[in-house]
Amino acid sequence: MKAIILAAGEGLRCRPLTLTRSKVMLPIANRPILEHVIDSLEKNGILEIILVVGYEKERIMDYFQDGLNFGVKINYVEQKAQLGTAHAIEQAKKLIDLEDSGFLVLNGDNLVEPKTIADLLNNYKGDASLLTVRMEDTAGYGVVLKEREKVTKILEKRPGDISRIVNTGIYIFTPQVFETIEKTPISENGEYAITDTIQLMINEGKTVTSVPTESKWLDAIHAWDLLKANAIVLDPAKDLRIEGEIEEGAVIRGKVAIGKNTKIRSGTYIVGPVVIGDNCDVGPNVVILPSTTIGNNVSIRSFTEIQNSIIMNDCRIYSHGQISHSIIGSNNTIGSGLFVEEKDGLLIIMNGIIHRAPRLGTIFGDDNRIGNSVLVKAGVTIAVDCLVESGNTIYKDLPRHSVVL
Amino acid sequence: MCGIVGYAGKNSAASVIIESLKKLEYRGYDSAGITILGREIKTYKSVGKIVNLEAIIPKEIHGNIGIGHTRWATHGRPSTINAHPHNSGNPSKISVVHNGIIENYMALKEQLTAEGYKFESETDTEVVAHLLHKHIYENPDGNEAKCELLTGLQRALKEIEGSYAFAIICADEPGKLVLARKDSPLVVGLGKGENFAASDVTAFLNYTRDVIFIDDFATVVLTPASVEIFDKEGKIREKKIETIEWDFEAAEKAGYEHFMLKEIHEQVSAIHNTLAGKVSELEGEIYLEELNMTEEEIRKLSRIQILACGTSWHAGMLGKYLFEQLAGIHCDIDICSEYRYRSPVMDDGTLAIAITQSGETADTLAAVREIMSYNCPTLAITNVVGSTITREANSVLYTRAGPEIGVAATKTFSTQIIILYLLAVKFALSRGKLSPDYVKRFITAIRKVPGQIQQILNQQESMKECAENFAHVKSCFFLGRHLNYPIALEGALKLKEISYVHAEGFAAGELKHGPIALLEKGTPVVTIATRGPTYEKVLSNIKEVKARDAIVIAIANNTDTEIGKYADIVLTVPNSDELLSPLLNVVVLQLFAYYTALARGCSIDKPRNLAKSVTVE
Repeated sequence: MKAIILAAGEGLRCRPLTLTRSKVMLPIANRPILEHVIDSLEKNGILEIILVVGYEKERIMDYFQDGLNFGVKINYVEQKAQLGTAHAIEQAKKLIDLEDSGFLVLNGDNLVEPKTIADLLNNYKGDASLLTVRMEDTAGYGVVLKEREKVTKILEKRPGDISRIVNTGIYIFTPQVFETIEKTPISENGEYAITDTIQLMINEGKTVTSVPTESKWLDAIHAWDLLKANAIVLDPAKDLRIEGEIEEGAVIRGKVAIGKNTKIRSGTYIVGPVVIGDNCDVGPNVVILPSTTIGNNVSIRSFTEIQNSIIMNDCRIYSHGQISHSIIGSNNTIGSGLFVEEKDGLLIIMNGIIHRAPRLGTIFGDDNRIGNSVLVKAGVTIAVDCLVESGNTIYKDLPRHSVVL
Repeated sequence: MCGIVGYAGKNSAASVIIESLKKLEYRGYDSAGITILGREIKTYKSVGKIVNLEAIIPKEIHGNIGIGHTRWATHGRPSTINAHPHNSGNPSKISVVHNGIIENYMALKEQLTAEGYKFESETDTEVVAHLLHKHIYENPDGNEAKCELLTGLQRALKEIEGSYAFAIICADEPGKLVLARKDSPLVVGLGKGENFAASDVTAFLNYTRDVIFIDDFATVVLTPASVEIFDKEGKIREKKIETIEWDFEAAEKAGYEHFMLKEIHEQVSAIHNTLAGKVSELEGEIYLEELNMTEEEIRKLSRIQILACGTSWHAGMLGKYLFEQLAGIHCDIDICSEYRYRSPVMDDGTLAIAITQSGETADTLAAVREIMSYNCPTLAITNVVGSTITREANSVLYTRAGPEIGVAATKTFSTQIIILYLLAVKFALSRGKLSPDYVKRFITAIRKVPGQIQQILNQQESMKECAENFAHVKSCFFLGRHLNYPIALEGALKLKEISYVHAEGFAAGELKHGPIALLEKGTPVVTIATRGPTYEKVLSNIKEVKARDAIVIAIANNTDTEIGKYADIVLTVPNSDELLSPLLNVVVLQLFAYYTALARGCSIDKPRNLAKSVTVE
């Protein structure tokens, strides 16, 4: 069976991290979300993958290439305009053999484990099958109504307590779905949604079934959800390997992975679960606490403490920093004495809607330069390519290319 | 400059060879051909790309032994008749493919013609087919072999002067092919029940990773089950099997429209790989373990001689600035094809540094052999493990950029530069020319480069827009000073190579000594104006250009608020250490050239008249 992974969207709600990469490329335990998805497919023997790409596609293609390093064969199709999920699936039509019994469709930005995929593969039937999870709080998710296993109504994200059965967006379709996709009308949002296609199938009397799962399925809706996902994935992580060099006097506790050519210098104290990538230089005397992920080619200098955070590739963090519950994008240069405040239950306003964030420090996009002795208030974000000179306190979000003198 | 392929095995030779030829297409692509040995020799040839050849090969063709060739003309224009393989005998008994140049082919041709052989093509290779036929069958109408193919080949090689890699099959010896090499690349791949031969490992990496690099003067007998290698005297030789770690799959386009754009983007990870394990930020140390030189030897160096061609020569020019400025070692740089003929003056303290992406560049190899004849220690900087230069030089530093398929060099250039920076700083450290603190800051700065290149790639739309606006100009000039002078030359070369726009790079200060006469209203002048000791001078050069109504496209730091007053268009790069600015500026110029060629509809990965590794002199 072939799989179509939808990876063309930006993930607006994960800004500023998605200003320079799409949501599928956000790292969890040092691997993009999409890699976790591909890995789960590969473990189920699904080796032919069609990636529908669009926004910042180069980052995806640079990382996954032809899929050989990931044990799969990847073909790319481009969705030039983001016109919805049904439109995205339609782009892959030429690569699906119309004689096939069925094909899998899933989102590249939802974290799944191999068993999640297996649950659908073992139980699908009818013209379309979709995987569901039960949730208490369904705000922000699409839901379904059903009679036994048959789906009677499928609804996109909307407020109101209609159903607790959440649509994961993981489907198996027969190739005949393309006929219905062609007939799918454009929605009020100006998109061709696959949920509308499925509703059309139900209306036409085709069999659409749902398959419940209790296996892992995580949708990082907001950037701060990555921290939770990171902690969940790091916790049971297996085959952690220490490939770099650990100097005498450094202490490593718990599950810790350290990449090639990385140096952990004396006096450094690391409590797992922690993953550190390749070519990093950490310490001496750095403290890294759970659950933290550090990318490739990162330098962290003396007396800095990092806790429950994600630090992406190519960052330099100088001495005496305090970073907790935060996400630092790639290629940030952070001077000595950065202090990130953290708080519980922050209310964050995005596009006029109030969201409640769990405990959060800060989120930095890519390519920022931060001077020495900078204080960042809890919940404040710094976008991309900003310059903050020494001694400043950042009270409010900094948009792209900001300069704080 | 061609690519050859041979196959002996259990599968259909035609499909394996076509597949392999496609991987070699970058070596040359004006015509191609294939010979399959079944009951008899069957040869097919066509002009143009491999797909044209594929179209004329009958589907039902059988045969498990075959040879193939993709050509880039040296002797005789591209045509079906001049395409390889070349055969001898009627019906065909011998079929030959060849990469290299037979220098005495005219003499051989006259001699063979006198003996009754008829020549169809204008190529140097056809003489080899007839010469072999003569040695095996003794006259043009002979139908009975007088000696074995291998013996015949070994005798024929004694008469041949020049460079060659041959793959040959003989109708009377089914089940094998023979190979020979001198001064042209040749490598054998070992499979299970099948064996391969090619000019480059990329041809058969889809099938096997176990390879043997064939030495000069060796001859080889390849059958589906065995590989035997013989030396110059015909004695059997031990095989040295190496395993290739590269993924050729990684060399597929992976969603990109062109290899070149893919490779521009790969510079981020390529530089990560080049730097991996070579620098330590806190210690301020540079580790070049492959460098076969003691501290004592480094201190005693009095002169460095850099040898390179094309893009590698630009990398070398930057190297000259670095070795002189940082390490205080007198450095000369020469174009290889010139160096050989200019009677070099040597002294004891000279180190030769040869830079070649492929490790097979004929001009570079010849220059290296020349300089090594003076007992001069030689260091090679190359991207291809096991290539010819790695076996000849005293030590080798690999750029670890991964395979580069686009003919226009991009990631191999930037990784070559990285190696030169590391080498210059290493030499400077050993010679006490730089303070440890300076070196520490330098290492921090060089480790920032991959992230900064990604930052440039994030804004490639601005390069695209700029290139599209100027895609239809007749000519374009590139100015740079100091470390960025070689980068200006490289920017011009990139534009020439792939977009066929007339482009020239100049040292900005040289402008007023002549080139300024070329400026016209509307001519774009790309000027590298990142911060550095010559920044002010570059600003005055920009004013000179503006005064002639030309259009200035400036490459400047993103914090530069002045430049907008002088330049018409500003393309920005992140602030970096001044010393390292060439690494960022070149990425902008690569993207500029790429998008210009794209807007002009050029064949970007396979520009006309060019080939990836130039294995002829």
